[in-house]
Amino acid sequence: MTGKRSSRSSRVRGVERPPSVPLTALARAWAIIGSQSVGGGASTLFLMRRELVERYRWLSAREFLEDYALCKLSPGINLIALTGLVGNKLAGPRGLVVSVAAMLLPAGAITALMTAGYTTVRDEPLVAAVLSGAGPVTAGMTAGVAFTFARQAMRRGWRAGADWGYLALAVAAGLFTGVSTLALIAVGLAVGALFLRGETTRASGDPGT
Amino acid sequence: MDPVGLFTAFLKASAFSVGGLSGLPLLREQLVVPGFVSEQQVVESLTIGRLSTGPNGLYVVSLGYFAYGWAGAGIAILAATLPPLLMVPAAAVIRRQLLSPWVAGMVRGVTLSTSGLLLATAYTLLVRDAAIASVPVWQIALALVAAAVTIRGGIHPALLIAGGAVVGVALGR
Repeated sequence: MTGKRSSRSSRVRGVERPPSVPLTALARAWAIIGSQSVGGGASTLFLMRRELVERYRWLSAREFLEDYALCKLSPGINLIALTGLVGNKLAGPRGLVVSVAAMLLPAGAITALMTAGYTTVRDEPLVAAVLSGAGPVTAGMTAGVAFTFARQAMRRGWRAGADWGYLALAVAAGLFTGVSTLALIAVGLAVGALFLRGETTRASGDPGT
Repeated sequence: MDPVGLFTAFLKASAFSVGGLSGLPLLREQLVVPGFVSEQQVVESLTIGRLSTGPNGLYVVSLGYFAYGWAGAGIAILAATLPPLLMVPAAAVIRRQLLSPWVAGMVRGVTLSTSGLLLATAYTLLVRDAAIASVPVWQIALALVAAAVTIRGGIHPALLIAGGAVVGVALGR
């Protein structure tokens, strides 16, 4: 779908949409998402939905969900894929560039500034104490996200046993062998194509990354 | 590490993962093992990434900063941005192939591989190079509670980290 829309395609599933969303409006919406979504993927996704679906009505709820489900399969950060996909859909290639830049520049700048600020206080005893508690929480949250990813990929019924078994092998390989990550991903591709075929990955669950 | 090497490391981690955090095992392999950043800095990056705005995967900005300063932060975000955008031209094709059993199988295989490695990485972040027996019980309990709450959902990640920080101040000094 291109950014230029005919009047016929401007109404999709009950949502009025101009032929191409103005780039300034697009930039404003994504800048709000990038600068206000404290806490990671869940709040980013929440703000995307609020701005794009509810406030500006550029997308229907169903379109948004379908695009999100598709982007769960993208390499890297899923929500960057969703940003690019939606930006391209609403205003073509320029919309893609504006959306990705307007979302990532504030978020990246805030993250870099927080890191720079952190390095000036990291040697304080209080900061060390804070991290002694926040660190294990972060490790636990990472495990929680990993488990949720895996659970979304599981098939139903008896075939779930094979999926859990493969997950256990991957954990063991990560813990007890020196196998490289790329090698295990290649194994995953081959094993998946041969033995783990079937239902598509579910889109629900942790919006994570 | 030179800027090109750093860019390649972040690009590879992004390209060979499904979801921002899934690239962590590959980044650990390329940055921690050779000694460019420490295990402690990985934990710090993940924590800052969770407290900042934007997707969780932007912890790479923090990690890039630790590896190469402000330029490293820029390199990390640029490298992490490119692979997901492949989805834009690929979307039309993938939409048609989504229901193909073997494509679903490949995605499942990669997802389970990266999830398994991520679980192993989470364990490593908790115990570092020590044995699990040497980790204080309260830290193990914090990690287990955080994992359970993350799986269940409903509590803001920043609140969860703040709770861990309070427990750390009380018990970690």
